[in-house]
Amino acid sequence: MYSLNKDLSNRIKDVNTDLSNRFNSIFNKDKDRLRNFIQSNVGMILTLEKLTGSELEDIKIRGGLVGVDGSNNRMGGSYPHYIEAFQAMAKSTIRMNEPIFVSRVYTPLLDERIQNNLDTDEEIPEENKDSILAGLEVEAAIEAVKRLNPHIVLMDGGLIRYNIYAAEKWQELMLLCIEKDILLAGVIKDIKTSIIGDELKRSFKDINGILYDRELLYGLLNYGEYIPIGEDVNKKERKGYTSAFIRSSLLPMVIGLDILNEQGQYLEYISRLVLSLTPENSRGVPLWLDIVDKEVKISDDMLKALLERYLDRGIYQRFFVSERDKRS
Amino acid sequence: MKVVGITTQQEFFIGSKDRNFRINEFLIIQDPFQGDLLGEVVEAKTFNRYIPLNIYGDFVDNAVLESLKALGYDVDEDTIYICKVRLINEALYPVETGSDARLPKFEEVKDFMVRTYPEEGFVLGVIRNTDDMAFEMDEELKGILHTFEDGVLKEQRELPYIMDVKSMHHYPHIGIFGGSGSGKSFGLRVLLEEVMLKDIPTIVLDPHFEMDFSTIQSHFEDRKEIFKQKFKCLQVGSHVGVKFEDLRSGDLKNLLDAASPLTDAMNNVVDIIFRKKESYTSFSNRLKMLSEAQEAGSSGEIENRIRNAKNDDEKRAWEERRNMYQTYDKTCPYSSVRGVLWRLNRLYNEGIFSKDSREIESSLLDSKLVVIQGSTRILQVYSTYLLNTLYHRRRDYKDALYKQLPAEFFPPFLVVTDEAHNFAPKGYDSPSKSIIKEIAQEGRKYGVFLTLATQRPTLLDETVTAQLNTKFIFRTVRASDIDTIKEETDITFEEAKRLPYLRTGDVFISSAVVGRTIFARIRAAYSTSPHTLNPFDELWNKSKEDDDRYYDIIMKKLPISEVDMLNVIQEIEKEEGITLTLGRLEDKLQSLAKKQYIKKEETFLGYRYIKV
Repeated sequence: MYSLNKDLSNRIKDVNTDLSNRFNSIFNKDKDRLRNFIQSNVGMILTLEKLTGSELEDIKIRGGLVGVDGSNNRMGGSYPHYIEAFQAMAKSTIRMNEPIFVSRVYTPLLDERIQNNLDTDEEIPEENKDSILAGLEVEAAIEAVKRLNPHIVLMDGGLIRYNIYAAEKWQELMLLCIEKDILLAGVIKDIKTSIIGDELKRSFKDINGILYDRELLYGLLNYGEYIPIGEDVNKKERKGYTSAFIRSSLLPMVIGLDILNEQGQYLEYISRLVLSLTPENSRGVPLWLDIVDKEVKISDDMLKALLERYLDRGIYQRFFVSERDKRS
Repeated sequence: MKVVGITTQQEFFIGSKDRNFRINEFLIIQDPFQGDLLGEVVEAKTFNRYIPLNIYGDFVDNAVLESLKALGYDVDEDTIYICKVRLINEALYPVETGSDARLPKFEEVKDFMVRTYPEEGFVLGVIRNTDDMAFEMDEELKGILHTFEDGVLKEQRELPYIMDVKSMHHYPHIGIFGGSGSGKSFGLRVLLEEVMLKDIPTIVLDPHFEMDFSTIQSHFEDRKEIFKQKFKCLQVGSHVGVKFEDLRSGDLKNLLDAASPLTDAMNNVVDIIFRKKESYTSFSNRLKMLSEAQEAGSSGEIENRIRNAKNDDEKRAWEERRNMYQTYDKTCPYSSVRGVLWRLNRLYNEGIFSKDSREIESSLLDSKLVVIQGSTRILQVYSTYLLNTLYHRRRDYKDALYKQLPAEFFPPFLVVTDEAHNFAPKGYDSPSKSIIKEIAQEGRKYGVFLTLATQRPTLLDETVTAQLNTKFIFRTVRASDIDTIKEETDITFEEAKRLPYLRTGDVFISSAVVGRTIFARIRAAYSTSPHTLNPFDELWNKSKEDDDRYYDIIMKKLPISEVDMLNVIQEIEKEEGITLTLGRLEDKLQSLAKKQYIKKEETFLGYRYIKV
């Protein structure tokens, strides 16, 4: 048996007390009142129908659905003795279309910015990783749009991310999609916005702290309901996106959806597609994105096998095997 | 199809995206360094990473799969097929991972699968899962048999399993194992049919009275006559027996021992009293006299009886008893003499001494199949004598040939028995065991072959089991028997696991000739067992027959009223010769009324039965 550190358990209890104190006033409110508040201040709560067979068939005829996701994994010790692999993939539901992979490998040992800067022991900024991954994903999507001409491109994650980390290429992708009439959307598994909380705070001055949509919407929507977020409250509007919250599975958690403003009229259509592709008893993620995620994933075993196979033994051991790896 | 994963010299996995594997099918692995290698699928699996759809713990419902399908993506197509392959001959190095695999052509497996042609072998069945190459096989291998599957007779689609008769010279003995209902007796039947078609002299010990080949399956009407002249059913006691005059004292002791085990003293009694070429009557009389003399008690008492004899016959009889008493009393204790006597009587009452075995011998010389029927116990007794006699005749002939002495020809022959564990049991001695053991161990030299069928291989003597070179293993459920089979055959772990689930008629054939196990299905037999009528059908048919008969009789007498039943009974007795009691007639009438053949009607004079 592990012996429990009393202090640690007490601290965790404190967290529980604090959280429930802070949010009880809101969570304990009548569910209907909150729903009414959302209806009048954020957006209508509407019920979605799944897409019909012929509508799905229609998507196939127009070029199908492409899911895009990326993955990275790193091996080795602490900076700069590690190697990191990135991979992005765009996979079409049309089987004859081969999936598109783009990949990159990064190690600080070969980074020129660092090479020129040897004296400073500073780690290069973390967003480097994010920008590589986002960049690869967008590249894969661009490639898919050019080569496969799909009807819909579904990104794994919110679209804002690409504005931040891969602005130029993202611009290119957006233009391409608008030009070719390809619907571009992003599915957000873990929503991090606070749109409803901000509205609540504006109306009820006594609320302090940040209220995230994640906890507010937990269990609030029924299966198949969604909220198209009003233009005036959506902060992403300014970046050019139209968004919605959807409860896409029996799990009480809600997911988010972003699409381009220019294609705003398809918000409901894409929401219905998301609902159709999400298993009832799942975490709410469209199956297609899960399938893509599974295929793109660089697992520890895979990365290790790749390194062992293609790096010289000496190089591998000298640079990338950490003390931790040798523990057994 | 490609070799995947970690490989060894014997076993490895093959994966395929589009072809499902079948167990026991053969594959050629094209190893870039070692050339083509032949392997057999010992385990087959399919796998789809999205079904039963557990991606990160989610279960995916059908609606979503249908939606994806409509979008053009059918998850079924992600199914991959994996099989475990074992090489027929071990390779020098582990098989190269990534090697291609393909289906073999008939020519490539011919030497291995088809060792002989129908003219020189027993056509016993088909080798399972070989239909892919069957169309390329030689014409003389095509259409030579039918199989019976799911109750329907099917044309041959796979390679035939032909057992090489001549190889029995090196690998003489066959074992047939399988639980009840597994197809064991039926496999034995097919084997015997082939034996007859090849005119091989054969003795079949048939405790179940089922090895009759005169009824031919309706599908094979054209072969109606094939077995007619080739076999003979003989029952111990009524058709065949032991000619007492031919017995040697060893044979007699064996027989008596089979009736009930003999003590040393009893053996001694037989040795002392039995004379060669003596008749049954003479031998049993002398035993009787001795025992009567011993019952008298002493020489004085016997002298007394002689003196007081009422007539000459009695006097002479007692004088003879006296002589017997004087010669044998010292060496033959009374209890042993009695013991021998009652064993002898027992055999006599079973009719064993009333016939001889000449018919069996002449049938063997005519290359016929002789089925010897009788209860298990009688067969145990009789087979001990018979096999000893026949085996030694064959042996004497061969020995004489070797010594270049003149000798009477006696053919090589096959000994077949069902329920073999009764004839050569493990753990205790039985009279027939020693001769079966002897044949098992040295029959090969003399051309005497055993085929032993049993549902309990565990109970069969181990020395005998060890000598069985070819084994047919049908469905077996009992764990102890599966263990025995695993020990005694080269059946693999995977195959042993499948034993309890084999379909009736499917069989693993483990043969020393081939050096490995073949998965086969026994062909449809031409003949049928006499016991195929379902006992329940029999029951219902009988009651139907009964009804019909009474129906006819009673219909003629209708209407029958309560008061004149007695008259009706008399009339029936007079006309049909059937005596009915009042109660029984009433029963019959009621049951016919219940089945609505006739009608019961109330009248002012009581009830009566009328036509419907």
